[in-house]
Amino acid sequence: MSARRYQDRARPPNLRSEDYVSGQVYRDDGVFRDELDTVLGKVWHFACHVSEVPEPGDYRTFLHALQPLFVIRGEDEKLRCFFNTCPQCGARLLGDGAGTAARLRCVRHPGQFDWSGRVVASAQSEDNAESDVLSAAPRLREIHAETKNGLVFVNLDDAAQPLDAFLGQGLEIFDGVFGDDGVEYEVFHFHRATVKANWKAWQETIVDLYHEFMHVVLRTTQMTAAPMSARDMRVYPNGHLAIGGLKADYDNYKGYSARDGSAAFPGLTVDDARFTPLFPDTTIITRGTVMRIDTVTPLDPHRTIVESRGLGIKGEPEADRLMRMRHHNDYWGPFGRNVPEDAFAAEACEKSFGKGAGRYQIIARDEGGRGQDDLMLRAYYKAWSEMTGRLAHSPGNT
Amino acid sequence: MALDAEDFTAFIDLCSTEFDYRITVYSPEIRKEMIWLDQDYEGMRALLEMVPQHLKRLGTLKRHVSVYIIDHDATAAIATVTSSFIVTHTDPDGVSQLFVAGTYYDEVDCRGDRYLLKRRRAHLETRDLGIGSHIPI
Ligand code: FES
Ligand SMILES: [Fe+2]
Repeated sequence: MSARRYQDRARPPNLRSEDYVSGQVYRDDGVFRDELDTVLGKVWHFACHVSEVPEPGDYRTFLHALQPLFVIRGEDEKLRCFFNTCPQCGARLLGDGAGTAARLRCVRHPGQFDWSGRVVASAQSEDNAESDVLSAAPRLREIHAETKNGLVFVNLDDAAQPLDAFLGQGLEIFDGVFGDDGVEYEVFHFHRATVKANWKAWQETIVDLYHEFMHVVLRTTQMTAAPMSARDMRVYPNGHLAIGGLKADYDNYKGYSARDGSAAFPGLTVDDARFTPLFPDTTIITRGTVMRIDTVTPLDPHRTIVESRGLGIKGEPEADRLMRMRHHNDYWGPFGRNVPEDAFAAEACEKSFGKGAGRYQIIARDEGGRGQDDLMLRAYYKAWSEMTGRLAHSPGNT
Repeated sequence: MALDAEDFTAFIDLCSTEFDYRITVYSPEIRKEMIWLDQDYEGMRALLEMVPQHLKRLGTLKRHVSVYIIDHDATAAIATVTSSFIVTHTDPDGVSQLFVAGTYYDEVDCRGDRYLLKRRRAHLETRDLGIGSHIPI
């Protein structure tokens, strides 16, 4: 190939600027640093489900925007979120993913904190709550935490708008599902995987509808079950998205059993499928009998932690729980039929975009807001551009 | 060996029609025992039959198994076998990495002229399975 042809390939495609995304969005270190500050540092991030921290003293640690954080339930039942860092000399506090702590102990010095982040013993004065040293000692650094429909969200930004304002109507397609008719959900499946891909490439495995051709299961069970024209895509403020109107014929895939008589979640029939990608890093998916919540947490532009949860109804009979586990594992989980394909695709994009071979991604499909329209991808990158102040098709130019 | 070679017919042929297979994992994050795959004989057969149609991880998996305990109940003609395993993944460039470590808890049906795998619990130590696998462990 001549040098000229190589140059041509670097040129942006002859499309509207909103119809393509530059490969730099997936690999550039400067873009990544900006994302940490202007996107992940500002949004409400899904941390865990309330069922993971049911009792006072229960905690759950996680990483968000590279920061080690944890959510803990207080004596007053309130969920709070703190940096998992001792404010005195910076050592880590909690070493494991979850647990129950009588007190939060610093690994390095005798520093101890209660569930509301108050220091109760310090490096300078062991267990003397009355001392002046203690009253002057710093509390744990707290960030915002709020709960909606049992989902715990946190926000690193001191000036964050309330969670409800951030979500807006973003969860409306789950209104009847989460409902307020006393149904309580709980997490029964958790898989935390490191994927060699940019974090947005994972989010795209949901937002990009055209990719469903990649999945045998979706070709056989979903694309045939409801007309493309029934698809209902919604775009909300702050980059949240939703798609409803999907159906599935499970017995069209060899080895899946018909789901008649299975216990669907409230507000759903067994063959319903609905997705809500919440900007920028969380997705809630239901398929009638099962619900999955995914979070992506970047480690750097090329590696991402994907956390997937599966939810059932708290206190349901064992047979229902086993049914949900089976249905969950049919599609999802590390041995599911779909998730390894999505991960494979995300890693394949990294192989292309990661070092610059892939120049851009075209997101120009227009099917009038139905079918496999790329409008959700365009909306995702529009919100991304607004927050980063960089243009997704040309992120070097602000 | 049959699974390593992706010879699924040969693997199924080693299983009893009462085959009961599960992959289990304990999650300290949610403090629960989880099931990551749960299949009977027919389910396993269909699942393996569909593997070639899927977009699956490139390269090969190799299982290394060490048998720890064999308990043979002569009256019931059932042997229970506990083994440790590791599975390595070798990518198309020939680079091998550990994919998963765990323990098999097996029941082998010794009634017929051939021993058949009746029950397998593959309990995993490894919880981060990266992109996962279409092929059971
Ligand atoms: S680092 Fe925690 S008390 Fe010193
Ligand atoms: Fe997918």
